[in-house]
Amino acid sequence: MYKRLLQRLLGWTLSLDDGINRVYPQDFNPLYYTGGLSNLFLTILVLSGIFLFLYYVPSFNDAYTSLQYISGVGPFAVTGVPYGQIIRGIHRYSADGFIIVILLHFFRNWFTERFRFSRDEPWISGMMLLLFAGFIGVTGYVLVWDQRSDLLVTMTGRTLAAIPVVGGALQSALFGGPGLTNLLLPRMLYLHVGPATFLYVLLWWHYVRIRHPKVWPPAVWTLFSLGAILLCASLIPAVSQPPASPLAPSSRLAVDWFFLLPYLGLKYLTPAWLLLIATVIVVYGLYIPYQLPETRAEMGIRDSGVAQVIDANCTGCELCYYDCPYDAIIMAPSPHPGVTRAAQARKLLAIVLESRCVECGICIGACPFEALELPRFLEKDIQAEVLEACRT
Amino acid sequence: MPDVNTPPPAAAGPGAAAGGRRPRIIGFLCDWAVSAEGIVGDDGTMRDLPNVSLIKVPCSGFMRPAWLEFALRNGADGVFVCGCPLGDCFNRLGNNLIRDRVVQMRRRLERQKVQPDRVTTIFYGLHDQAEFVRAVREFSEHVAALPAPAPARPRPPAAAGTPAKPAAAGEGQAAPGAAAGSGVPPAPGAAAGGGAKGSGGSS
Repeated sequence: MYKRLLQRLLGWTLSLDDGINRVYPQDFNPLYYTGGLSNLFLTILVLSGIFLFLYYVPSFNDAYTSLQYISGVGPFAVTGVPYGQIIRGIHRYSADGFIIVILLHFFRNWFTERFRFSRDEPWISGMMLLLFAGFIGVTGYVLVWDQRSDLLVTMTGRTLAAIPVVGGALQSALFGGPGLTNLLLPRMLYLHVGPATFLYVLLWWHYVRIRHPKVWPPAVWTLFSLGAILLCASLIPAVSQPPASPLAPSSRLAVDWFFLLPYLGLKYLTPAWLLLIATVIVVYGLYIPYQLPETRAEMGIRDSGVAQVIDANCTGCELCYYDCPYDAIIMAPSPHPGVTRAAQARKLLAIVLESRCVECGICIGACPFEALELPRFLEKDIQAEVLEACRT
Repeated sequence: MPDVNTPPPAAAGPGAAAGGRRPRIIGFLCDWAVSAEGIVGDDGTMRDLPNVSLIKVPCSGFMRPAWLEFALRNGADGVFVCGCPLGDCFNRLGNNLIRDRVVQMRRRLERQKVQPDRVTTIFYGLHDQAEFVRAVREFSEHVAALPAPAPARPRPPAAAGTPAKPAAAGEGQAAPGAAAGSGVPPAPGAAAGGGAKGSGGSS
């Protein structure tokens, strides 16, 4: 059932790729670069965020005014920060873009089953990246301290209060005490910047099993994304709502469809249900890589065994090390010379990390010295198949 | 040797293989690329193109160029590797790697007097079966239109059954093999090829 659904989704994903490849050069298909695009948007966010950080004041009285100063509106129409409105717009819209491409990345890799084998770690770290990105987005909306921020704090507090036992403690940990305290905005500022820094730790985890990760999109998409964000920022200025006033709290939430979607659920669900559903979604997301059958025989795919280095032939040339897409080969100082003439002067020896190997055999194709083999799909098996095919 | 059935060298020219028989093509198909279901018969040949045999491999990047040469040496007229669409390899880089390796291989084939066009890479995703079959048919027709290669390869026939030597060794062998095969004073270029052709007919 799940398998059939996944196959249908895979079909749709691939036909979407096909459609784009028909109208656009394949090397630049943006769907092949969702990860690189995410990193691009994150970089834009960090740079514009540093700019905004220089002017932002995390206090109830000044937060809203500092945003007005940055944007050059209200009393600061003349004395505001030059281009501050544009930078603020860039920060807002690249955050939206960030979430869009992260979700594209998530669904694409889910439907094309790129969580299999040793790719569970990129998957888990990716889920964490998604969660943190959402959390950072919400704290960013609180920092503005307009009516929406006020409402967000109230709604979050109410939702957290629904957690049994630890709910109250969580609430005061997040907001610096019960109700609105002076600690709220400084804490939100930290929770906006700190986790954003932590994203880079998660990114390291995300990349650690990947050789030559596609960290950046092609230049044309970098330029396009920059241009699109700049255009959005100048055409649709990012504005605050009216300032928050605890005396006349707003009752309507202006929804940002990319970050505040869960809050929309509060309209229809009790906080407890919302929390339950969110937990189920997150736990299921983390479980996705382990849902399919474990062994290759059960998956119905080839089981050729982890690549094996043939000690006698390895010359330590590092070609397999450069080509292995999962960083599963390390070069160790050679403990003894090899047997063949080319291998006798070697300084290094290739070693396959079994936990990372997905048995794709790319190292076998990379090796010009016949020093690597898949144990259950040997070179002589290939040659036998070729000879068989030539005989028919 | 691939061309024992072709007409004598005098008649051999462009289209010689096409006149005699359909070229024998061997395709290496990535497990994750275009689905073989429904297009491959029980004996590994393609339903629509019985002259094409498909061999499934774990990834297009798994292919060693030496194995493509091995297939050419042992009777295949054309060899191709099919991987996932470029940029969308299941194993991230395999199809880019095999494309580069085949490009590098072309020079080596030229030195061995084999038309480099006999080896190619194609890239089709899981459901692109129709396009895949079309591309293979095109490749087959292209190979059929190629002039027959010089029957004597610069490699003794005894080497045919043994495992392929590493690429470096293969390059080194070209010189002694040509000298033994031609038996004429070393003449560069086309003259050497012609000499090899004559002696190769007897082998």
